[in-house]
Amino acid sequence: MSTPEIDKDELGRILERSGHQLTPAQIEAILPGAAIFRRMVERVNAPLPREAEPALIFDVEQGR
Amino acid sequence: MSILTIAEAASQIAARKLSPVELAEAQLERIRRLDPAIDSFLLVTEERALADARAAEARQMAGTLRGKLDGIPIAHKDIYGTAGIRTTAHSKLLEHNVPTRDAHTVKKWADAGTVMLGKLATHEFAFGGPSFDLPWPPARNPWNREHFTAGSSSGTGAAIAAGLILGGTGSDTGGSIRGPAALCGIAGIKPTYGLSSRTGILPLAFTLDHAGPMAWTAEDCALLLQGMAGHDPEDPASVDRPVADFTAELGKGVKGLRIGVVRHFYETDHRASDATRAGIEGALDFFRREGAEVRDITLSPAADYHAVGYLLMVTEAYTLHAPWLRERFTDYGELFRDRVALAATVSGPDIVQAMRRRRVLCLEMTAAMENLDILVSASQAGEAPRIADVPKWANMEKPSFTMPFNVTGFPAISICTGYGEGGLPVAVQLAGKPFGEPTLFRAAHAYEAAMPWRKRRPSMCD
Repeated sequence: MSTPEIDKDELGRILERSGHQLTPAQIEAILPGAAIFRRMVERVNAPLPREAEPALIFDVEQGR
Repeated sequence: MSILTIAEAASQIAARKLSPVELAEAQLERIRRLDPAIDSFLLVTEERALADARAAEARQMAGTLRGKLDGIPIAHKDIYGTAGIRTTAHSKLLEHNVPTRDAHTVKKWADAGTVMLGKLATHEFAFGGPSFDLPWPPARNPWNREHFTAGSSSGTGAAIAAGLILGGTGSDTGGSIRGPAALCGIAGIKPTYGLSSRTGILPLAFTLDHAGPMAWTAEDCALLLQGMAGHDPEDPASVDRPVADFTAELGKGVKGLRIGVVRHFYETDHRASDATRAGIEGALDFFRREGAEVRDITLSPAADYHAVGYLLMVTEAYTLHAPWLRERFTDYGELFRDRVALAATVSGPDIVQAMRRRRVLCLEMTAAMENLDILVSASQAGEAPRIADVPKWANMEKPSFTMPFNVTGFPAISICTGYGEGGLPVAVQLAGKPFGEPTLFRAAHAYEAAMPWRKRRPSMCD
């Protein structure tokens, strides 16, 4: 899976959509971290084995 | 008065050879003299300390001491709620916050007779630091005040190393107890998830937060954890099971223990310094020599654990802080606000994937430990860097050695393994099975007792 690098405009749009009214300088200050963070998100999204199914958390037969 | 460990002070108090009031007064004098150089305290509660000490001394004279923590001077990280005493999270947003009740663990330590000296510096809300744009300066490393303490339990690490307190509270979401323990040359344990209550402690990330003690020695950590652990119905993660005797295995040595070394964490995934690796090898040599079985094991890359833990940590923190981040963005320090704002870029599927991967990693570590008692790896990559040189994104750029045990909830302790080229401490991390704290204390205590490191304090203490 390939995750593109994030740019300042995209980061600004995402933050604005989340309700943050930040200045260009404030967005610029977050940008280097956003690029590193994207690589972490990419790593988390690598394919997983079947036992990682979160449905296993809920046991239908036992109702819990 | 020389600097005592908790075990030493407790023994002398029990024998009526040490006055809790005189001990408290000596510690307060040390704080007045030394803390201006290291800024470990945000608030010194002198009246409260002397009142606590007088009460302990009355029990001492009456022969009604409550145990080994009675009369012991401690302080709390300033995210631990203290009734009637300012609790700020080192943040402008809570600059005037005064809780109406003690955190569960604060009350437990008070009930055990501890003497509270004050509230300690932290990274803002236990995450953003070292920061120079907050109402108070960051704590500095007593081994060299130009150097970092690590965080977020920075004040606790600095105050213990400087001998200002005998023990203190920390919290650990990705390494915030073990990091400062490593860089300040003390001991600090992140207990098993659920062993100690988080009620009344300002949260960072619900599923990763752990409350734990820090002290000069592993033995002292065992004594402090004994006074801290236990079921609390108000914390949904708190486990309802009998609390072990954490000192029960001290003195048993390490013979027969099965130790796995996660060498790839600190040799290839994130290569630690020569001094750190030499310190770990020295500890492994000691364990082998004393009859432990030592062998290398392989887990997923440290970066896998780090990515899962970091993504969940900032997202859970964002869940708590989003309203203030929207309305009071610049009231936060730059480091906290910019790191936590990253969570706005995370999608729902990303979170589900992180939770799924977390389960895989928990299963992996459980399987790896089936025939082991202890896992060994680094605690920090090297000696403390200069505080002015810590990069803004340092905690993201390289995988953490401590985060794997927040992701899985397994207990882990950091202990000092000597000093590097710069004269600053280096450390090793020992991790155990869930609720395996007695075994961790056993191994850590055996190592500390055999090594000279606990006999040396920072030169500022001379």
